[in-house]
Amino acid sequence: MSHILELKNLSFVYGQGTPFEKKAVDNLSATIEKGEFIGIIGHTGSGKSTLVQMLNGLMKPTSGQVLLDGRDIWTEPKKIREIRFRVGMVFQYPEYQLFEDTVYKDIAFGAKNKGLEGDALDKAVRRAAEFTGLKEELLDKSPFDLSGGEKRRAAIAGVMAMEPEVLILDDPTAGLDPMGREILLSQIVNYHKERGVTVLLVSHSMEDIARVADRIMVLNHGTLHDFDKTKSVFAKGDDLRKIGLKVPQITRIMQTLRERGTDVPDGVLTVDEALEVLSSILKKEGKIW
Amino acid sequence: MVRDVAFGQYFPGKSLMHRLDPRAKLVCFIAFVVLIFFTFNYASLGLIAAFTIFMIAASGVSPKFYFKSLKVILFVVLITSVLNLFYGSGEPIWQWWILRVTWNGIHRAAFVTVRIICLILASSCLTFTTSPTELTDAMERLMKPLTAIHFPVHEIAMMMSLALRFVPTLLEETDKIMQAQKARGADLESGGFFKRVKALIPILIPLFVSAFRRAYDIATAMECRCYRGGSGRTRMKILRMSARDIISMITTAALIGGVIVCNIFLTSVI
Amino acid sequence: MFISIENVFFSYDSVEDGQPVKNAVDGVSLTVEQGEFVAVIGHNGCGKSTLAKHLNAMLLPDSGKVYVEGDDTADENKTWEIREKVGLVLQNPDNQLVASIVEEDVAFGPENLGVPPKEIRERVDKALKAVGMYEYRLHAPYKLSGGQKQRIAIAGILAIQPQCIVLDEPTAMLDPSGREEVMSTLIRLNKEMGITVVLITHYMDEAVSADRVVVMDSGKVLTQGTPGEVFSQVELLKKHRLDVPQAAELAFRLKGCGVKIDRIPLDEEECAQMLLEVMK
Repeated sequence: MSHILELKNLSFVYGQGTPFEKKAVDNLSATIEKGEFIGIIGHTGSGKSTLVQMLNGLMKPTSGQVLLDGRDIWTEPKKIREIRFRVGMVFQYPEYQLFEDTVYKDIAFGAKNKGLEGDALDKAVRRAAEFTGLKEELLDKSPFDLSGGEKRRAAIAGVMAMEPEVLILDDPTAGLDPMGREILLSQIVNYHKERGVTVLLVSHSMEDIARVADRIMVLNHGTLHDFDKTKSVFAKGDDLRKIGLKVPQITRIMQTLRERGTDVPDGVLTVDEALEVLSSILKKEGKIW
Repeated sequence: MVRDVAFGQYFPGKSLMHRLDPRAKLVCFIAFVVLIFFTFNYASLGLIAAFTIFMIAASGVSPKFYFKSLKVILFVVLITSVLNLFYGSGEPIWQWWILRVTWNGIHRAAFVTVRIICLILASSCLTFTTSPTELTDAMERLMKPLTAIHFPVHEIAMMMSLALRFVPTLLEETDKIMQAQKARGADLESGGFFKRVKALIPILIPLFVSAFRRAYDIATAMECRCYRGGSGRTRMKILRMSARDIISMITTAALIGGVIVCNIFLTSVI
Repeated sequence: MFISIENVFFSYDSVEDGQPVKNAVDGVSLTVEQGEFVAVIGHNGCGKSTLAKHLNAMLLPDSGKVYVEGDDTADENKTWEIREKVGLVLQNPDNQLVASIVEEDVAFGPENLGVPPKEIRERVDKALKAVGMYEYRLHAPYKLSGGQKQRIAIAGILAIQPQCIVLDEPTAMLDPSGREEVMSTLIRLNKEMGITVVLITHYMDEAVSADRVVVMDSGKVLTQGTPGEVFSQVELLKKHRLDVPQAAELAFRLKGCGVKIDRIPLDEEECAQMLLEVMK
């Protein structure tokens, strides 16, 4: 596997030179392999949004480099737009960006800007709509006639249709009910598996991240506090708590058992896992069969 | 990003200008602005300029912010005064090709420059020392007499204050929408006039839709808080004229008197 | 009985001849007692938000009645009285703040009621202190965090001095710390100031803080009871697309494997405690 993204000493300072100077990202370095599913967590104001906006060239780092496939994305500043087709980004509450006459046209917006046309464009749009579970009848409707959940999926499809190599999603399940969150997350996982795209997911839900991420980037006040496999990151519950973060509820429960002497592994991430671990212990003790 | 404009911004403080009743400030300001254009000789111009300097000193706001607000119109002032320089009447004192400089032209250029500068500085002084809420309050109370002829004073004041409240929010939203569309490859920087206007559609439509949605939500929220129009409403902040305000209005009246006297007894320069 | 909802039906559709009308609220009867903390949960579209808007007469039932302290919400003469007794806080913190300065926004409610200026001042200060935002009274709202804005919205309602506050998914747009701020404020208002709270939410971990949980689906009340009673019905909740806290789910599934579990735990501590006992 090769590095798809390399972050070299990235820094971003807001209002440089003014009395309101603020360092949002501070000398951050990391590498991301092709096809990985990375979770990004951090307290509010830890620099997550600033960081991801530097990855697709929406913001220029104050210092440091972003290398996409080994090449600095700012090598040719005039061509920075092309980077945005390779590193697609879905903002929080993306349904607010819909504007076209029909859902089809809106999904096609990004792909069209990229230069796709004719059959290739149609294929990309329909495939993206499929991934997000948008029924065909909806494609001819006005995006403003859709329900909230459908609008969100249309907006996400709009970015997927650009067929980027890297997909960044900033809190895509924000404001959705549990069922909606569940469905969207599985659609993203499915997309990741089928297209082999590298996915970066920024989220406040530790339970979501635990479910889907291979590795987790932990941000704290603009610096990279930790960047490790999901299990390892969530095994350090106290550490995370100190920087204002939690671990998934199930992880905390198992951790408490561990602290009180029970022999359970560290970094349990899901209820299924916990059930397996506990039922094998209870079987041994003859409490269940 | 779109927000660093000094002109029109409010700086909270406790100076003399800050503590004046906004109604007094507004009335004196309007009188002052009208007066600026009734200066016909250097004596009256000097009075106006001196008064402006006094206002700035009494505002407690650093001169560098006043300079910043002048920077915005510097170009306009320059062009206007140069044009006036070359379009005066009378005998030319200096000539080069078709450009004629006359004494009249020099006077006119000087007057235009000082007038515009005083206008901008006085406006800045008002907005630096008066919060948007105070201004709309003052306007609402000054317009109160118009309710007799069924002029919708309260409604207009409510609209102004809501608009002011949402300006920064809408600016922020515009920023977000722009970033989101740029992330989808929208090109907002290059291209000819028509291309750039077309590129604004993905920004304007979401913005309009969002503004309407906000309006609907705000109306609902206002009703939930028992809003039912202007009748029967009281205000938490009561505006009361104090000695300070009376004195400032008398001073402004004196200024008006002074300018009129100068205009009557001294010859007009322009 | 403070609020009484009696067999309410409501539809957003206009009645078209012969066409079946889809009811957002489909025959709901419910009561809210003075001083209670009631949570109404359900997935999006179950009718909980629609129901919330009936409690302060923002919406009127197509059939059935809603009474607030004996007053019929359908009675036009009583509308404003009802809105003084029942305040409604909405989801979007930004779209509830009307003024450019925090204290002026909180004053908006009492100003509408014609309260004398000095009293407005007192109410505003009291309300801001109750939500912990007094130091921000001269700030501009747009610079505040979501959680802070929502607390100001709550203060704005408190200044009207209602006996009951209904909140329609107030934390849906907030980050975890904002959610915590709002929840602790609500719990404090309920326990310390005796204000009746009706919280519409889809977050299960918020519903566990309530005295009573009402579960809705397709415009109807599915079940209600204490948080313990409701969340132990894990199968029912899952069948209706609702989430259960991971603690409850784990316990439920262990029970299914034959482990002896008496009470379904609602939070981490309870769950860990229970598991330790089981394994002894």
